[in-house]
Amino acid sequence: MPIITLPYEYLETLVGTDRETILARIPMFGADIERIEEDHADVEFFANRPDLYSTEGVARALRGFLDIETGLPSYEVAPSGIEFSVDPGLAAIRPYLGSAVIRNVRLDEDSIVSLMGLQEALHWAVGRGRKKVAIGIHDLARITPPFRYFAADPATAFVPLDFDREMTLDGILADHPKGRDYAHIVQAYPRYPLIVDAHDQVLSFPPIINGELTRVTTETTDILLDTTGTDRRAVMTVVNIICTAFAEMGATIESVHVDGEEMPSLAPSERTISVAECRKLLGIDLSAEDLAALLEKMRFGAVPEGADSVHIQIPCYRADIMHDWDVFEDAAIACGYGAIEPALPRTFTVGKEHPVTRVMDLVRTLMVGLGFQEMMPFTLTNERILFANMRRKKDPAVLQLMRPISEEQTVVRTAILPMLAEILQFNVHRELPMRLFAVGDVVQEAATHQHAAAVSMHPDADFSEIFAAADVLCRELGLAYSVAESDDPAFIPGRRGDIQVEGATVGVFGELHPDVLGAFEFDQPVSALELDLRAVLQSPSRRDTP
Amino acid sequence: MEQTKIQTQTLTQTLTQTLTLNEKRLLIALNSLKQTGPGPLAEELATTEEAVIQYAHLCAGKGLAAVDRDVAVAYHLTGEGETYAQNGLPERQLLDSFEERIPMKELQQHPLARIGIGWMRKKGWVTIKGGIVEKAGDAPRGEDEAALQDLSASKKGLQMLIKRGLIAEEESVSHTIRITPEGEAMVAAGLDLAEEVGTLSREQIISGEWKNLKLRRYSVSTLPRRVFPGKIHPYQQLLTEMRRILLNMGFTEIYGDVVQSSFWNFDALFQPQDHPAREMQDTFFIDVRRECPEGWEKVRDMHEQGGGTSSTGWGGAWSRDTAEGCVLRTHTTGLTIKHLHDNPEPPVKAFSIGRAYRREAIDPTHTPEFEQLEGVVMDEGVTFRHLLGFLKEFYRQMGFDDVRFRPGYFPYTEPSVEPEVWVDGLGWVELGGAGVFREEVTVANGLACPVLAWGLGISRLAMLRMNLKDLRLLYRSDVDWVREYPLADAHRAGGR
Repeated sequence: MPIITLPYEYLETLVGTDRETILARIPMFGADIERIEEDHADVEFFANRPDLYSTEGVARALRGFLDIETGLPSYEVAPSGIEFSVDPGLAAIRPYLGSAVIRNVRLDEDSIVSLMGLQEALHWAVGRGRKKVAIGIHDLARITPPFRYFAADPATAFVPLDFDREMTLDGILADHPKGRDYAHIVQAYPRYPLIVDAHDQVLSFPPIINGELTRVTTETTDILLDTTGTDRRAVMTVVNIICTAFAEMGATIESVHVDGEEMPSLAPSERTISVAECRKLLGIDLSAEDLAALLEKMRFGAVPEGADSVHIQIPCYRADIMHDWDVFEDAAIACGYGAIEPALPRTFTVGKEHPVTRVMDLVRTLMVGLGFQEMMPFTLTNERILFANMRRKKDPAVLQLMRPISEEQTVVRTAILPMLAEILQFNVHRELPMRLFAVGDVVQEAATHQHAAAVSMHPDADFSEIFAAADVLCRELGLAYSVAESDDPAFIPGRRGDIQVEGATVGVFGELHPDVLGAFEFDQPVSALELDLRAVLQSPSRRDTP
Repeated sequence: MEQTKIQTQTLTQTLTQTLTLNEKRLLIALNSLKQTGPGPLAEELATTEEAVIQYAHLCAGKGLAAVDRDVAVAYHLTGEGETYAQNGLPERQLLDSFEERIPMKELQQHPLARIGIGWMRKKGWVTIKGGIVEKAGDAPRGEDEAALQDLSASKKGLQMLIKRGLIAEEESVSHTIRITPEGEAMVAAGLDLAEEVGTLSREQIISGEWKNLKLRRYSVSTLPRRVFPGKIHPYQQLLTEMRRILLNMGFTEIYGDVVQSSFWNFDALFQPQDHPAREMQDTFFIDVRRECPEGWEKVRDMHEQGGGTSSTGWGGAWSRDTAEGCVLRTHTTGLTIKHLHDNPEPPVKAFSIGRAYRREAIDPTHTPEFEQLEGVVMDEGVTFRHLLGFLKEFYRQMGFDDVRFRPGYFPYTEPSVEPEVWVDGLGWVELGGAGVFREEVTVANGLACPVLAWGLGISRLAMLRMNLKDLRLLYRSDVDWVREYPLADAHRAGGR
């Protein structure tokens, strides 16, 4: 989640109180303080509150939370008379455009950096990596309205930001660092989105890069904002967040005429909420007046309507209010989570364990009794460990990860024994005997079931030892089992057995084949067993049912 | 003065009692020899030199004898070295096999060519140009050749030959054993050489013969050989402890599939389909599809327009196709919501402890799979306040008395809360997340009551409680760590 840098002096000026008070209260507002530095604090705000990704936005919220200035912040918007057209040819590519004019801006190097930070955080949180929304901020003095947003020929050329030569749109996707990062968003289309002015000068190639022409500098006083994207609501939210942040700095906002619509309006949206429903959710006693006062602290406009309703105005920059409960959460935050007395309900219920974990616990008890130590290996592994090292054919039921993160972990285990062998390999230098076991999930045909496995490594580890352990496990788990000669290639022929229940093989044990020992770099014999616990969970001979 | 004498006597008596028969016999033999190697003593005691050294060490531990250990290094020629000592080093033999120059191809026919050519070049005896080997200068006898004839001739030569495996180093250890004045005094005082008995036999016990036997005394100051019991993994101890806490609190355990459809893992939880967690980047996708359950339209409507609640929904079009794709569960919440969907009648109190999967590279603080604990309470009239109550009780059971609550954000709960526990030395530590399931979640899954939910990454708790710096130790355990980690600590890590 985005980490926002809050310079103390600027923040103190905007909020109207000292840094100590602010830092003490920020965690209870819903943010994590990452670092406290000499002149600033780095604070992480949540993904659902993009309006807090600027110092101005944070100050606005804190003034309410700290009772310095409550209620709905209102913003004036005057028409700029500027026209912006949208080409219907963009419908399938990137159809929505939001825009505004921001005047009387005073920028220094620091505020340009923080403006870029806001843009990046919005691209991440709302823009889904620029796919859903991308933002362009331009020096209005360099360009001439009306502006045009249209689907352009990929061969069109302009000078992109940070470059000193013209490049074609295709060239930018291939060679410009930003072009390479975001090419995947537009590459599939025959024409690309482009914004130009009355003289066909290029402002921006959304969502990739702006033109060098409209670069914002400390000289800039008037800004043209464009936001483009695939979701109208998100495109307008971003316009609102940026415009109101500038307005908090003292800039004036003017609307733009986009295809017949005057935008932005920066007007609040409205809802009527039920006080009873809020009480029911939070479990605290509140009157309509109490609720309204709490919401005013969170910068809503709130007016009680009778005993059970509050009519609220939601600030235009709040992207997260989808449901009445989102409003109730704000009331709880304003109230302070610490002020809500925890209580336990009186409902009576009886705890009940799951049969699978009960059987796994039985296995643990038995294996520990036999002197084995438990291990908890990963369930993700690879075919080398699972099959090749074990001299086993690849199990066609093995589940492959579509995009593994390393060559070590490409599949989900179908057996646990190979994982134990791998752990033995990490521990070969440890004192012998080493007797290890594990119990847990395996996946075959995308279905999860449970296995138990054990290994014993020492100079006298042999068939008899592991046969005895397998016998204990089967007897104690209540399996009516028999043993047949096995043909599992992981074991030495003549020293391996299949555990069978009602004719079906449910387990195997024996002495690991010397080639398996070699594959895991063991210099000692290892005897091993594996048992499918479905045999236990489904066994008809079991006397008690978990 | 009198006092000191009595003390000394007592001390000698105690010491005599702890001497084994073998130690006494050794002391008597040593008393006549005074100082010797183990050989004569072994002969005298009719035992091996190893046994003598062992007895002598035991006596030395009691201050009655002393053992000096002397290590000498001896060098001898290996089989290969033996051959070269007679015939000369391969490179010398090779050099002597031709006049001024020789074609490489011809030289390679020589049986020692494979070893010799390299060494001739290394020693600068020849140059090789255009396939011709030509002598360079007069190839003086090297220090290695001197050492090969006489091992003491050159230290440097010796080392060179050791590196080539022509000379082997062998350490020989010799022991000198001597008696101390205390030992002499003890022998002078007289030692009882009656036969001592170790383990009692069945006959000795039932016949009563044991009464006439001298039973060997064992030292309590020497620690026994360390043995390691079979043991449940310390991390599993912690998981079991947490399971016990939740069962005690009246929760029903859920256990289920590692593979989940996107529908249960994300959509049923109102996670928007364009959420970053649903990208290949963060989640393990698998090539498996599962049909959406009956009533999936309610989930679609919730995403698209709020499904008749006060919600706006996410807008846009919800894709059934996307919901049918499968993942390795990114949390156990998919199991939980399915359990509630299948058991919609209140009250339901359920929990699960299971592995969750995230597409993260393995490093000391990240593993692509980790245990997650999760609990839900669904009942009429439960509120956010009750959620805080459950959290407080749960953490108290875990041994954290100070708990505070801060606002949090999770996509499927509203309100959301981040519980923090006070840990001495660390301060407030965030431990898990919680909230009331959004109405978009409950209504879409046919649930009429509020659902309180909380989750906790247990590996994080394990690091905190077991003082681990590296998460990987939990899954690729060092066997010695498991052997040495006391069970009581594992239980303490799990709660009160």
